[in-house]
Amino acid sequence: MSSQIFHRGPTKPQMNITPLIDVVFLLIIFFMLVNNIISEQSVQMIVPQLDEPTTRELDDAGRIIVNIAPADYAHRERADNPLLFDGEARFIRVGLQTFAADDLEGVTAALIDAKSAYPDAEVVLRSDGALYYGVVQPVMGAITRAGIDKVNLVAYMPERGAATVKIGE
Amino acid sequence: MQADQTVHHRSASKRHGRPKPSMQPNLSAMIDVIFLLLIYFVVTANFTPDEGVLTAKLPQGTGSPSQDMTPPQRPLNIVLSPAGETQVRISIQGYPQAPTGFADLAVLLTQLQYDPERGLHSGAFKPDSPVVIKPEAGVRWQHVANAFNAAVRARYTNINFAQVSQ
Repeated sequence: MSSQIFHRGPTKPQMNITPLIDVVFLLIIFFMLVNNIISEQSVQMIVPQLDEPTTRELDDAGRIIVNIAPADYAHRERADNPLLFDGEARFIRVGLQTFAADDLEGVTAALIDAKSAYPDAEVVLRSDGALYYGVVQPVMGAITRAGIDKVNLVAYMPERGAATVKIGE
Repeated sequence: MQADQTVHHRSASKRHGRPKPSMQPNLSAMIDVIFLLLIYFVVTANFTPDEGVLTAKLPQGTGSPSQDMTPPQRPLNIVLSPAGETQVRISIQGYPQAPTGFADLAVLLTQLQYDPERGLHSGAFKPDSPVVIKPEAGVRWQHVANAFNAAVRARYTNINFAQVSQ
């Protein structure tokens, strides 16, 4: 019997993969779109790099992110010394609302709204490490005027196994 | 005959002198898809380091209600002033010894602390004494966050940011 089969030639079982490819393409398009929407919430910046950081991970619980955005830059131009950069803010973003850098009343109002909608949410201040304290401090003032006295400052987590980054020495 | 049937695969191909027929599924379509997924994940991968947070108290104009029973505590002032374009000069008000960097600042702040539980008897500041970080307007935010981090590492619990001093 077995020799009969070999006389007819080998059989090639093949799966039809076309629907699989269709679904995979759909998933790729879906995730690309979702990723774009998510990344729009966090502004591109280099947050402070600390000596021996005591930073802890952000909780997944509700948070209101206040971004103080620096001027536009390409990654390469700040690779050597991230602090050698324009210290003025370009805009301030609270959640998805964008304000001019000097519109502190708008920031306070947005935070009051957000706080009344989500009373348990924590406020996270995300500022570029190169910005001047004279730019960041008024924003902290705007946060306190919204009745918030606790804020989480964003910095890089310690690198696992890497030597501590020494900057400002 | 019986023995021939049990090993018929090997013996059949040997007998007929023909190569073994390939019974492999066509993998090229799967490889196509895997390459697409690989490219997708490489493109969307996030190579930036993880970010964490330091929880801070903000400067309050009104301040907390005064406690009549306890004498007012002398704050420990950390003054930061810009040095050059990106550097910073650190000093602790009232102490001649200027820290050379933020790791050194954390060591000095620990020496200034009085906490018998940790074996620290030399300092005059308790862990809950107010620590005020006083940066000038032109100091980069990274140095301010670094000074805050140093005070946290020295286990102070009441750290504040001062208003901008020009």
